[in-house]
Amino acid sequence: MSALDRELLAAHAASDRAALVALYRLAADESADADQAAFYLTHAHVFALEMGHPEVAALRARLVAAGRESPLPPPRPPLR
Amino acid sequence: MDREESDLGAVRQPIAQARGLPNAHYTDPATFAEERQAVLADNWMGLAVTADVPEVGDALPVTILGMPLLVLRDRAGEIRVFHNTCRHRGMILVEEPRRIEGAIRCPYHSWCYATDGRLVSTPHVGGPGRNTHPGMAREGLGLIEVRAHVWMDVIFVNLSGTAPPFAEAHGELIARWQEFDRPLYHGGSDSRFDLEVACNWKLAVENYCESYHLPWVHPGLNSYSRLEDHYHIEAPGRFSGQGTLVYRQMRGEAGEVFPDFADLSPQWDTAAEYITLFPNVLFGVHRDHAYSILLQPEALDRTVERVNIYYARPDTDAALRARNAEQWKGVFIEDLFVVEGMQRGRQAPAFDGGRFSPAMDGPTHLFHDWVAAQVQRHRGTLPLRAAE
Repeated sequence: MSALDRELLAAHAASDRAALVALYRLAADESADADQAAFYLTHAHVFALEMGHPEVAALRARLVAAGRESPLPPPRPPLR
Repeated sequence: MDREESDLGAVRQPIAQARGLPNAHYTDPATFAEERQAVLADNWMGLAVTADVPEVGDALPVTILGMPLLVLRDRAGEIRVFHNTCRHRGMILVEEPRRIEGAIRCPYHSWCYATDGRLVSTPHVGGPGRNTHPGMAREGLGLIEVRAHVWMDVIFVNLSGTAPPFAEAHGELIARWQEFDRPLYHGGSDSRFDLEVACNWKLAVENYCESYHLPWVHPGLNSYSRLEDHYHIEAPGRFSGQGTLVYRQMRGEAGEVFPDFADLSPQWDTAAEYITLFPNVLFGVHRDHAYSILLQPEALDRTVERVNIYYARPDTDAALRARNAEQWKGVFIEDLFVVEGMQRGRQAPAFDGGRFSPAMDGPTHLFHDWVAAQVQRHRGTLPLRAAE
């Protein structure tokens, strides 16, 4: 198990979303394989979405540019 | 027909001849299920208060009538009510009250929803690392939203989606109490409490609507608020209740009082009104405070009364607030043996719904008549009469 794997497991165990975003993004950056990079980037994006991370738009843009995600839809008005 | 439907004809007679709702409306599970749709889901029922979700992202899961709902204050500050269920595999999304910092992530496969309900991520839905799929149009897979409307801090929902807009359905009460249509400041943790009651929710309404019981059940009120100081409030098909002409403000040891709501007309110097907005929200308004009681039906014979008290300003005296909450709690507790006793009394098979005092029970009969009309509408047996 690599050091990165261990850190990811620890971040999952601690529900440390900021760490999960950073570590999955790092895993994506270090992947030579496009599918594997997209897999990790997807996880970074999901945890960034959940916590309202400041880099969520940039992460999504990378996925959209890679053809792995769609742009955000427009806001939805309340149902009254 | 699998069962005999209750006979509602007698309920809908003029008050002097009318009988109350038959026992089945308090004791029969099938009739409870029928009312759940006809009386509660088809109308604007109270679900929560905005003070439950004061900050952006605050999420409150509420199970009502067996239905898991999520009350949420979205990023724009708007109150939303959604089904608390992921559109993917039906997983419950939020288990406990909490703050949504960004998006709602389903704990199962991590589908993510924005606080306005949009589905914004479907990770690996097209295979590993492929987060879209031509067959999965996100536009149609956002959270299922329930119509919601906020009035007097209460979040009302129309579960069926078929009711007229809230302002249209309840314009008469909105106009009657327009002087209280201003910011209401929740008194905080000392101004909210729940009472669990072993009765059908309707009995709490019935008791709240009338002043007939006051001298007997609340003898402490006799010293200054006599029966003859009260008046009926009757708006057929919409709301009913009672008012008093002799409201006196609570005073602290140094004579201090709560600040008044601004710009009230003189009638409110000594008046107070207590109204049920059908089906399930009990309100009280006074010159210096207001409250709501949400009746949350837990079962046929179990109800939770959720009480929240509000003031004209955010900086009211804490000790006086605590006294006021204690005083109201004492009054509401005095009513519990009555509503629970009426529930048990309806196990007597020969009880025929009872009768109404033509002079004193008008507001209660009016509620029964409205419930009966809702059930008749649902059954398709509503007589052709005016004002329905």
